[in-house]
Order: sequence, then structure tokens, then C-alpha cells
Amino acid sequence: MQTTTQDTPAFIKVRGLKKSYSETIQVLKGLDLDMYPGDRIVVIGPSGGGKSTLLRCVMGLENIDEGTIEVDGKPYIKGQGRTEKNAIDHTIQKQVGMVFQHYTLFPHLTILQNLTLAPVKSRGIPRSQAEEKARGLLKRLGLADKADAQPSQLSGGQKQRVAIARALMLSPELMLFDEVTSALDPELVNEVESVMMQLADQHMPMMIVTHDMWFAKNIATRVVFCAGGVVVEDGTPEQIFSNPKEQRTRDFLEKILHTENAA
Amino acid sequence: MSYDIDFFYTLKGIDTLMEGLLVTLQLSLTSIVIGVSLGFVVALMVMSPSKLLSWPATSFIEIFRCTPALIQIVWIFYCVPMLFNVFLDPIVMGVLALSLNLIAFNAEAYRAAIQAIPKAQLDASVALGLNKIQTNVYVVLPQAIRLALPVLVTNGISIFQQSALVAIVAIEDLMYMGKMLSTETYRPIETFTVVALIYFAIALPAMYISSQLEKRLKVA
Amino acid sequence: MSYNVNFLFLLDYWDALLEGLMTTLGITGLCLILGLGLGFVVALLRLSSNPVVKAVTTLYVEFFRGTPVLIQLFWIFFCLPLILGFEISNFVSAVIALTLYMGAIVSETFRSSLRAIEKDQMDACVALGIGGFTKIFYVILPQAILRAIPTLLSNSVSLFKESALVSAVGMSDLMYIGQNISSVTFKPVEMLTAVAVIYFLIAFPLTRSVSWVERKLIHKIAL
Repeated sequence: MQTTTQDTPAFIKVRGLKKSYSETIQVLKGLDLDMYPGDRIVVIGPSGGGKSTLLRCVMGLENIDEGTIEVDGKPYIKGQGRTEKNAIDHTIQKQVGMVFQHYTLFPHLTILQNLTLAPVKSRGIPRSQAEEKARGLLKRLGLADKADAQPSQLSGGQKQRVAIARALMLSPELMLFDEVTSALDPELVNEVESVMMQLADQHMPMMIVTHDMWFAKNIATRVVFCAGGVVVEDGTPEQIFSNPKEQRTRDFLEKILHTENAA
Repeated sequence: MSYDIDFFYTLKGIDTLMEGLLVTLQLSLTSIVIGVSLGFVVALMVMSPSKLLSWPATSFIEIFRCTPALIQIVWIFYCVPMLFNVFLDPIVMGVLALSLNLIAFNAEAYRAAIQAIPKAQLDASVALGLNKIQTNVYVVLPQAIRLALPVLVTNGISIFQQSALVAIVAIEDLMYMGKMLSTETYRPIETFTVVALIYFAIALPAMYISSQLEKRLKVA
Repeated sequence: MSYNVNFLFLLDYWDALLEGLMTTLGITGLCLILGLGLGFVVALLRLSSNPVVKAVTTLYVEFFRGTPVLIQLFWIFFCLPLILGFEISNFVSAVIALTLYMGAIVSETFRSSLRAIEKDQMDACVALGIGGFTKIFYVILPQAILRAIPTLLSNSVSLFKESALVSAVGMSDLMYIGQNISSVTFKPVEMLTAVAVIYFLIAFPLTRSVSWVERKLIHKIAL
């Protein structure tokens, strides 16, 4: 299943990533991670371990203290101290898309307007072209009849699918999913996860933070166990879920799988 | 500009202004004490299941919230003595007018606060076997006061400012004394500026407290 | 009770009251429009990174919220002409005073609705590469204005009620005319009650509509 070798140059290369929210609260403590072309990475780990922060750093939402992120061998983000602003390449940032836990649709715009705002206003794509693409995406995600609805009229699962479509409008080279099913009612989780599976079938590079271990097993090419602000263990889903090497990984999985079985 | 700024006469009249300020503070503080306590009673009346209690209380609140404070003060000054043949001390009349206004606004603040208490809290009280009175005293009241506090402080600041309206019915408060002094000394700029600064100096710390309270409430 | 209440005489004065009401509504409407514009600009200026702009606008807002409207009105009516060196009519003084008052409270309304926009929305803008002009005019401002509408409505009711103060500088608004007639006819109870009822009939539906509009908007923009 693993498509990578040590010789292939990394697509995303994270080195020595440190991020703190105050003098005392350090969330990432020198995290290293390589993502190779074709990888779909699922990041798992205890809450507070830095999973979401890692994704937010890759999106360029957080100001990092130290470390670098490279994309295709080119410098993307470089930390210059806790109080100094990052050096960031906005051209590369535009190739990254992200979907959030709480949908973050624009509440005052219709679904279609949510999809076309960024392409039309920020990328200068002609409106008719953007709308055509938007309608196509909505149709593919089973939301064709919702184009003119307001976000407040949609269910959580529908909102999250719209949020995915909105990110896809910009044809990203990498998609980040930050606990996108955590706020959903259990019966709505599947419709969102199956859209993500569709993207996986189209070989979209993804980095996913999720608590759904069953889904993680199915979608990931690599699973990264992140705790205490560093990558503790990294391997194929089979390795991590069936035969974890590290004691911390074993403890974590035992705890969750135990709870899942009990439920 | 042909007008020479000179604070001499205004400062000479500072005693007069201080007398006025004393009246202003007396009016506002008394009204605040009455407004904070009776406001809660009126809020409970509004929320009572008995129409006999809720109807008059609701009407009272709406009348005082939906008419200018000035007409309330003028009405009470001219009409109460005529209708009821009672002639009270002007300051007592002023307190009456301002308190009624503040009771209405505070009752609304308490009502909104009580409604903002999650219903689950009441369910939890039932589940814990608290009776109605215990629930009101130990669960509802403390949370209502905490939630209403920023608005109560804001309303207190408003009534302090609205108290300037009593100058129009010749109660000798800070505003009235300022107007007198400016006419006597022909120094409107200095006098009105000093009067405004006195009001501001008292309102500013209160406004600061109110915004701090609101911030604390949001964090909690 | 020695006073005979008789509301019938009011019929003789209804046209005068109507004229007063028109003045009240005119001043309220004018200051509402000017105050909304002023408040909006001030709210944006307070977000400025320039410390001088920030300090001046903050001082303006705090001062007008921290002093009685009556003294603001008197200051402008009695002092401004002395400073300017020429007379200004009581109408102009009233409009300046009430506009400055309205501008201050409206700017606070806009400011808190701007603050109420979740950080999530900013994150989404970064993730979608939306910035600058587009972010401000297509994402932030429309949401801020929608959120501000209910409070702006109650700000307008406050302005309508505060407009009664212009009677103190001799503008013949509803309050002024009511007081005049009541002292001429020696019928304050009927006259002042009638004036209060007129104010109430306008302010009450507006006040009630605030919560109705709030519910409508929450339904529209809540996520």
C-alpha cells in the first residue's frame, strides 16, 4: 500500500516545528513530518497533542515560533520567533485548501455565493465560469438543489459537504481536514466521509485529523500518531493499528478501541 | 473668536456647582437603590403565571420604556399634585420620577437574565429534589443577578445622566446650577464645559466597571 | 380630587400637536440618517492602527456616552455660536447635538457586531485566500451590518425619545407644543397625557419589532 520510498523527494517537509500559545503553553515541540506524493495522512492522537495545531500551521493560520515547512522542495513557511511574523510564501498557500470542524460557511451568502466568492473576487475567474464549476461540484456532491439556499437551511452534513466543495473550487494541491465530522450527528458522518473517500479515489493529497479510527483505517495510506507536540510513531494503517511499536501508541489505541467496543 | 476663555468666574462658582452635584448624586443614588430592588420584584411579577400580576407589571414597563424620560418627569411634576392633591418636596418628586423609569428598565434586564438561565438548570433542580422556593433562591436568583449585573450598571449610569432632566422642572441639581451660573457670569463655555466634565468624570469609571463585568461574564 | 379631567378640549388642538409631531419625526429622521453614517465611520476609525485616530474617536464616543444629552445640547446651543463667531439656529444646534449623540451610540453598536464575528470566519478567509478589500466588503461588513440591525433599531427608539430634549432650546416639537398648550389652557393632565400617548404609540411598536427582527435575523445568519 505504501507508495513511497526514501529516494522520492518529499511533497511536504515539516522540520522542527515549534508553536506556543503563551510563555508557558507549548503545543508543538519540534515536530518533524514528511509527506510524499500520493500520501493520505491521517493524524491521530490524544487531544491537546497538537494534531489540529499541526494542520493550522500547514494552512498558515498560526504564527509558528520555530521551524520550517517546505512544499516540493521550496520554502513555504519559516518561523522567526514567537513574537515575530512568519516568512510565508502566499503563492504556495493558495495551493492548500482546508475544511474546518465548524463548517465556517459565510452565513450571509447563499451556497452558490459561498462557492464563487473566492474564485471570482480573489482569483479573478469570470463569474459564469466559476458558477458553472460550482454547480458541477454541487451536483457531484448531491447538493444540486441547494445552490440558492442559505447555509442556515442546511443540515450539518450538507454544510460540511458545501465547505468541502468551497475548498475544491480553488483546485488545491493539498487538502487539510480538521475534525470535519466531530460536530456532526452520528447519522450524518457517513455522507461527509464518503465525499472524502471520493476525493481519495481521485488521488487528492490529504492530511486528516479525525477521531474515527474505522475511517482512518480505510482512507489513510499513512497514519501518524502525534502526542506531546511531536510525532511519536508513523507508519501504514496496518502497522499502527495492528502492531504499534511504541508503548504510548499502544496505550492510546487500547483506550479508544476499548471505548469504541464498549459503545 | 471674540470670546476670551476665562475660568475665573466658573471656578469662583464651584461651590454652587458642588451643591448641585450633591443633589444630582442624591437623586441618582436613591433611584438606583430603589430601581435595583423593586426592578427585581416587578420582573417576578411580569413572569408570574397570574395575569392579575403580570398584566399591570408589563404595562408599567412598556409605558416607561416607550415614552421620553422628559415627559415622565414633567407629567409627574405637574399632574401628580393636581390629580392627587399631594404636594411633595421637589427632590422627592424627582426621585419618584427617576425611580419609576429605572424600575422599568431594570425589570426588563432581570427578566432577560432569568430567561437566559438554561432550562436544564431547572430540570437539574427538580432532579435534585429542590422545591420551587429553594430553586428560585439558590439557583435562579444568584445566576440572574450575575447575568443582569452589566446591564444594571449601564442602567445606573443612564439614570445618572437622565437625572439632568430634572433641571427643566427647576430642581437645583448640577445641570440647573450650571445653567444658573452660566447666565449669571455670562460664561457659558467655561461653565457648561466644567459641568460636562464633572458628569463625565463620574460616569467614566462606572462605564469601565460595566465593560469589565461584561468581559468577565463572557469568559465564564 | 379637585381637578376635573376632560379630554374633549384636545380636539381643538390636534393640528398643533400634529405639527409638533412632524417636527419631532423630522429631527429624528434627519439625525438618524446622519448618525448612522457618522457611527459607521467612527466604528471603522476606532479599528485603525493609527494611535491618534484611535484616541480621538474613542474619546468622542466615551464623552458623548458619558455625559447627559441635555448638557451636550446646551453646550452646542449656547457655546458653539460664541466659538464660531456667528449665530446658529436652534434647529441646527438640535441636529448637531442629536447627530453626535446618535453617532456615538451607533458606533458602539457597530463595534460590538464587528467583534461578534467569529475568528472561524477569518480562518476561512485565509484558507480560501480571501483578503483585503474582498474580505472587508464581502465577508465582514455584510455580517456586521446584519448583526447590528436589531440594536440599531433600539438605538433609533432611544433617539426618538431623546429628541424631546430639543424643546429645552425652544424647538417647537411635540414636547414643546404640548407643554405650551398645557400652560395656556391650564389642562396639563390631559395635554401631557396625550403627548405621552403619542410618543408611546410610535415607540411601542418599534420596541416590539426589535425582538421580532432579532428572531428573523438569527434564523438567517445563525449557523
